[in-house]
Amino acid sequence: MVFDKNHNRLSSEDLFRKFHIDIPLLIAFLILFSISLIAIYSASNSDINAVINQSLRIGFSLGAMILIAQMSPLNYERIAPWLYSLCFLLLGVVLIFGETRNGATRWLNIGIGFQPSELMKIGMPLMVARYIARESLPPSNISIAIAVMLVILPTYLIYLEPDLGTSLLVAFSGLIVIFLSGIKKRYLFIAFTLFLTSLPLIWPLINEFQRKRVLTFLDPEKDPLGAGYHIIQSKIAIGSGGLFGKGWLNGSQGQLDFLPERTTDFIFSILAEEFGLIGIAIIICIYLFIVGRGILIAINSQDLFSRLIAASISLTFFIYVFVNISMTIGLLPVVGVPLPLISRGGTSMVTLMILLGMLMSVGTHKRLVSK
Amino acid sequence: MVFKSIITQKEDQNIFLNRILFSSLLILLLASIIFIRLIFLQIYDSDQYKLRSLNNTIRMQSIPPSRGLIFDRNNDILAENRPVFQLEMIPEQVQQIDKILDQLGRLNLINKNKISELTERIEKSYQFKSITLNTKLSEKQIAIFANNRNIFKGIDIKSRLVRYYPKADMFSHALGYVGSISSKDYLRFDSSIYTGKEQIGKTSIERDYETTLHGYPGKEKLLVNVRGRVMDRLDTEPFQPGNNLILTLDSHLQEIAYNAMQGKKGAVVGIDPTNGEVLIFISTPSYDPNKISQGMSISEYKAFQNNKNKPLFNRAIAGQYPPGSTIKPMLALGGLDMGYINPDNFIPCEGHYLLPNYSRPFNDWARHGSVNTVRAIQASCDVYFYELAVDMGIEKMSSFLSKFNLGKKTLIDLGSEKKGIIPNREWKKNNFKSKQNQSWYQGETVITGIGQGYMLATPLQLAMATAMIANRGSAFRPHLVRAIENIKTGELTYTSTEEINNLQHIKQEHWDIIHQGMVAVVNERRGTAYGIFQPNVSVAGKTGSSQVFSIDKSSTKEIPEELKDHGLFIGFAPLEKPKIALTIIVENGGGGRVSAAPVAEKIMQAILNSERQDGV
Repeated sequence: MVFDKNHNRLSSEDLFRKFHIDIPLLIAFLILFSISLIAIYSASNSDINAVINQSLRIGFSLGAMILIAQMSPLNYERIAPWLYSLCFLLLGVVLIFGETRNGATRWLNIGIGFQPSELMKIGMPLMVARYIARESLPPSNISIAIAVMLVILPTYLIYLEPDLGTSLLVAFSGLIVIFLSGIKKRYLFIAFTLFLTSLPLIWPLINEFQRKRVLTFLDPEKDPLGAGYHIIQSKIAIGSGGLFGKGWLNGSQGQLDFLPERTTDFIFSILAEEFGLIGIAIIICIYLFIVGRGILIAINSQDLFSRLIAASISLTFFIYVFVNISMTIGLLPVVGVPLPLISRGGTSMVTLMILLGMLMSVGTHKRLVSK
Repeated sequence: MVFKSIITQKEDQNIFLNRILFSSLLILLLASIIFIRLIFLQIYDSDQYKLRSLNNTIRMQSIPPSRGLIFDRNNDILAENRPVFQLEMIPEQVQQIDKILDQLGRLNLINKNKISELTERIEKSYQFKSITLNTKLSEKQIAIFANNRNIFKGIDIKSRLVRYYPKADMFSHALGYVGSISSKDYLRFDSSIYTGKEQIGKTSIERDYETTLHGYPGKEKLLVNVRGRVMDRLDTEPFQPGNNLILTLDSHLQEIAYNAMQGKKGAVVGIDPTNGEVLIFISTPSYDPNKISQGMSISEYKAFQNNKNKPLFNRAIAGQYPPGSTIKPMLALGGLDMGYINPDNFIPCEGHYLLPNYSRPFNDWARHGSVNTVRAIQASCDVYFYELAVDMGIEKMSSFLSKFNLGKKTLIDLGSEKKGIIPNREWKKNNFKSKQNQSWYQGETVITGIGQGYMLATPLQLAMATAMIANRGSAFRPHLVRAIENIKTGELTYTSTEEINNLQHIKQEHWDIIHQGMVAVVNERRGTAYGIFQPNVSVAGKTGSSQVFSIDKSSTKEIPEELKDHGLFIGFAPLEKPKIALTIIVENGGGGRVSAAPVAEKIMQAILNSERQDGV
């Protein structure tokens, strides 16, 4: 056999294709993971153990992603109802038998703390996509109504935990599928106005703690040492970073502990303080690249189910990024959404990587389908 | 799977692409919002946030200045700052606090009885801030700690500067003492130059020269974290130490006087008549100011305050005593000046004096026979001065004595000085409530003639009056601080003094007569201090006894201690060009001859000895 350079290159590309890995996406993930390790080292006051732990989580999540990517989208479509039903059941169980931490009942103790709501982030888009994809677009009114119910029920259970942030994100991942399926604009308009007009009615129903968060968001300076503290310190960190940042490990807000929860929800503020606008502009561009690549995969995929889940995953991913960043810069209330792929955290990262694994699966299995 | 035709798939794709396009535009919109917001935060408002970030982390901390030193006139150090070692613990660095405290207690490094109190304090405070376990470690305790240092991780010895007075109780009433700042002190001084950590002058020179001694605090720019822990020192502006004081006091004389006063209650004040410099300033019993400055428990301090001998009471400037016979030379001078007495006239003294309309006679302490002015001073004849007092009348007496600065403050450079009393009709009217008591009686004039009755003077006032006698009329305001040494330039600023001379009109021959009387007190037979001093010593003086309680003189032996007369002595030396004007008061010491004059003798001898040495 003759091994020329050209042949060699092709064969390595083939290798990736064989393992169903989308190289541009993988590179983007690896860059973000590297940024994650750099940021966590800084945010944990140079604690190398925090970096090692995060590396292990990254390794595990990458493994999960590659594993998931090996399965054909057909398999996901097949398991969707089962997964959804299991999640739904567990959400019920968690409300009765769940473990309560900090006033929220989110965890099931099965050796490790496990949040069924995390699993629902996967179950929801799969289930709604499978339901919508069983007929041609646009879906009938009955289908839409049922799909909406599929979204609302688990969302409500998660909301009861209470976990407003996750419930909204889970709802979004389902609703985006309905939206993409071509629901009539009229309905969208009605739903939107209904939502706005019902806000004053919902307001007294949501609990004290969440109401306070929203009020704090509207005027953080009212209680600068209490409820407004997080957002004020975050804005100081970001604003003081300026264009070029204070340099790695030199951000006073982070290094001197003024910024709370800086390895998780507020890691973006650390990056903004130490690397400035230029640094975070690059990070945001990488996120946009991932979203764009995901949308491209959705457009290029051959069947409706694949298309819907690829688009749903990409758009949900963007919403995670958007919500987290908006919360640190005071555009949205603090809802406790981590920055995808960068924030420290086990479960949320594994969940996200499983979703991204599905995206890769859709991207790399389409040719098999077309054959 | 449900089978779908190619056509429906195309249709699906169109709807889907539509929505994807819409979503993509929405994504770009949201991303733009984030970018705009970031541009506002990080570029447009960045300076404002940079400032807030600095305000978060920068703390200014002041460093207390080191207090100025105090020297005597010969540069002997009287007050300095010494490090005191204390035991401190940083709780977060200690693993088993209870066990460690127990061990420290067993080694006697901390007070065992205060362990529970300490535990409570540790629990309440920041875990990274050091807590003082023992404010004063002895040399032995330091050694014990050093030997066991390896067991005590997180515990260390720290030093701080504490005022130290090497001469202990010898100078305490002149120097005063320092203590930690109380809320009252903040009202007295400019709080902006106090850090709250330094000691502040509480009495005497330490208090009255506080601004000079204190200096200005330094500043440290600290980087702190959210819990206030100091992470880094960014900038330090050193403190400016307080200026030094050079006093007029003479340690050598002070020591002689202080030793002579051992076991006696009273005061000694010696002034240089040529410039008002206070050479000796003693009030006994005294106290060790080091004990107070190094921290004293409240009970210890209370015990001090309640001591019946009042060691904290500054008798030299605040003790007011009837001057007794020590005013006789001054009254005689007034009598001579105003022509009430002729120095050559002898009058008889039968040991008592009778006033018309008074049934009881005014007794003399002895029968002096025939006395003239010199003899009357020399032997301290009361009858002579009873008569003079009646002739002069109270108004003339009081106005003449006022010229010796009696009855008013000397304006020495110390606060809390008392002004004494020179009584007259108006004074009595103003100071008594009932009409009956407001009128002046002639009997009161009589006893004022021998410095009894209402008349009161401080030892300092008498010393200043003595200086006027020594100087033949002129005197200077007394002062304790000779110069202030600017710590930066080393420049000395001397205290300027004001000369007072109310007695310029007195004829020299009249001064001669009372000087002659005062020399005779010391150097001639029948002089009240004769035999106490060496023969023919160059000293002039006058003894005095002031009655604490009016009792029959015959039963002296049974008088309890606290009712005994106060003994006084005023004097100056040497006769030519006097170098010191001295006043000694011994409370309840009996007569001036037995209690005060021997103290004077020791001081005068030292002065004359040094004079002789200088002459050689």
